[in-house]
Amino acid sequence: MTARNVAIVGGATVRFGIRAATWSELAQEVGVALFRAVPELRSEDVDSLFLGAAEPERFAFQSHVAPLVAEQMGLRPTRILQRTELACASGQSAIRSAYAAIASGLSEIAVAVGVEKMNLPSMAEANSAMGCVMDRAWDGPHGATAPPFFAMVAQRHMLEYGTTEEQLAAVSEKNHRFANTNPHAQFYEKTFGRDKLLRLPLVAPPLRLGDCSSMTDGAAAVVLAAEEHVRRYTGSPAWIRGTGQYSDFHNLANAGSLTDWVGLKHAAREALKQAKIGVDDLDLAEVHDCFTISEIVEYEALGLCPEGQGGRFAADARGDLGGDLVVNPRGGLLGCGHPLGATGIGQAVEVFQQFGRAVPAARQVPDPEWALVHNLSGSANVHSVMIYQAGGPP
Amino acid sequence: MSGRPRARRTEPELVSRPSDEPRTPPAEPTPPRPVVKRPFLLDLIPLESEKDTRLSRFYARLREGRLSTTRCPKDSLLLWPPRTACPRCHTEELEWTDLPETGRIYAFSAVLAAAPLGLEDDVPFAVGLVDLEGVPLRIFGRIDGKPWTSLRIGERVRAVTYDVGDGRVFYRFRAESEPERGP
Repeated sequence: MTARNVAIVGGATVRFGIRAATWSELAQEVGVALFRAVPELRSEDVDSLFLGAAEPERFAFQSHVAPLVAEQMGLRPTRILQRTELACASGQSAIRSAYAAIASGLSEIAVAVGVEKMNLPSMAEANSAMGCVMDRAWDGPHGATAPPFFAMVAQRHMLEYGTTEEQLAAVSEKNHRFANTNPHAQFYEKTFGRDKLLRLPLVAPPLRLGDCSSMTDGAAAVVLAAEEHVRRYTGSPAWIRGTGQYSDFHNLANAGSLTDWVGLKHAAREALKQAKIGVDDLDLAEVHDCFTISEIVEYEALGLCPEGQGGRFAADARGDLGGDLVVNPRGGLLGCGHPLGATGIGQAVEVFQQFGRAVPAARQVPDPEWALVHNLSGSANVHSVMIYQAGGPP
Repeated sequence: MSGRPRARRTEPELVSRPSDEPRTPPAEPTPPRPVVKRPFLLDLIPLESEKDTRLSRFYARLREGRLSTTRCPKDSLLLWPPRTACPRCHTEELEWTDLPETGRIYAFSAVLAAAPLGLEDDVPFAVGLVDLEGVPLRIFGRIDGKPWTSLRIGERVRAVTYDVGDGRVFYRFRAESEPERGP
């Protein structure tokens, strides 16, 4: 499939949360973190930089952000310097672009970084920015943002399959529990038991506060290398074995079924086919739990359980340690927060660290070999999937 | 600069068939550009005048209380939202067609927090996907007329035009306040 093999050879994230730091300060902070985490990395070896940033124009009033980040991180790319924007999947897009650049021979060593600053003095402005991820002119004036859209997904899933609020809370409880092992998570120090989750205020019925990921400031970065350079940086690389994407609508009128995420089925099928594995081979998955209902529908669309059984899959802890596979051991978007451009990169950092046995024992997946990373974007109208394999030779 | 006057360039207008001409009252010219008070990039309501959009006819019809959209006559594809080109055959020869005024709620929720700018004072308000009656369109919209707690899936709603307050108009749905009665 590819001209040559590509791996993630290192990565780092900053602490996600409501940060007393500007957009460019987060970029500087993740640069420091990356060079500390990958001590063998020299600036002059990095020939390409891909920046995942969803809405810096709105959140930070700053365009032309890729050279800004290059300057902040001390990089002078000679091959490719660009920003990737795919809303909530902007970070994975940066990794995918770096992968394509290296696999094709254009790049040898690339950095993919994601930065987002979402907490503003006026959160109504920030919410407007989130609304612009949807069809601004036609759905936006009605108040379309992510919470009411995913609330409708939950309402239909409850109607069609009998999914319950308790099953939604099971997803949130698991991911917040994992986040309690992750000092970089927005909710590292906050506990959310199921009873508490079911008493939190409604944001967009039936979704409560604990069913929704947060507006988060954060940044994350990974280094990608062509196979001949991998050993210079790590003994436990995360090899990219497959990628798939699918986009099937934008305006909400063209969504079709709210509960059958056809795009994820297509994207996952393509990625798994490239990796020559099946979903049963996966040891862990970092999936896009922007809302609890998202993770439930994703269980189904990935083929981890039959249609309509995602709620039961959650309640039976089949995505938990000791289950079929471990889903969102990092803490997910629910526990870590969701700084749009940084999320996909933060997920990749988790996969790299899981493969390197570098996470706390409380969330370490035993002997992981295969991992899937999934991001949806917008109103689940686009799905992006990558497959990683641990260690070993190319 | 040469002194020869240049012809004013105008955007081509979408085809309007005789049957699509306004019913009553006769169409008034599109009002001039409103003064948008919110910074443009933070204002979610589209610009509607002929100077701003080739879809100004949509808003002109909306002022008459008519919800409409474009249709591709070649393959009878009903397009939502209204467009200037057919995504299937790529013709720009689209025609306007009125949409049914009523529909039934397919799914709904409510914005109880985290509203975008300009809608904060409206919280709580209901939104939903509505199956328009008799056409294969399920469009998203705000639903007024009832508190969200008494809305039901399958409930009948009506598309209505509202004034934005600065010369612009937009549409939303209104739930019937009384239960439907048989004939």
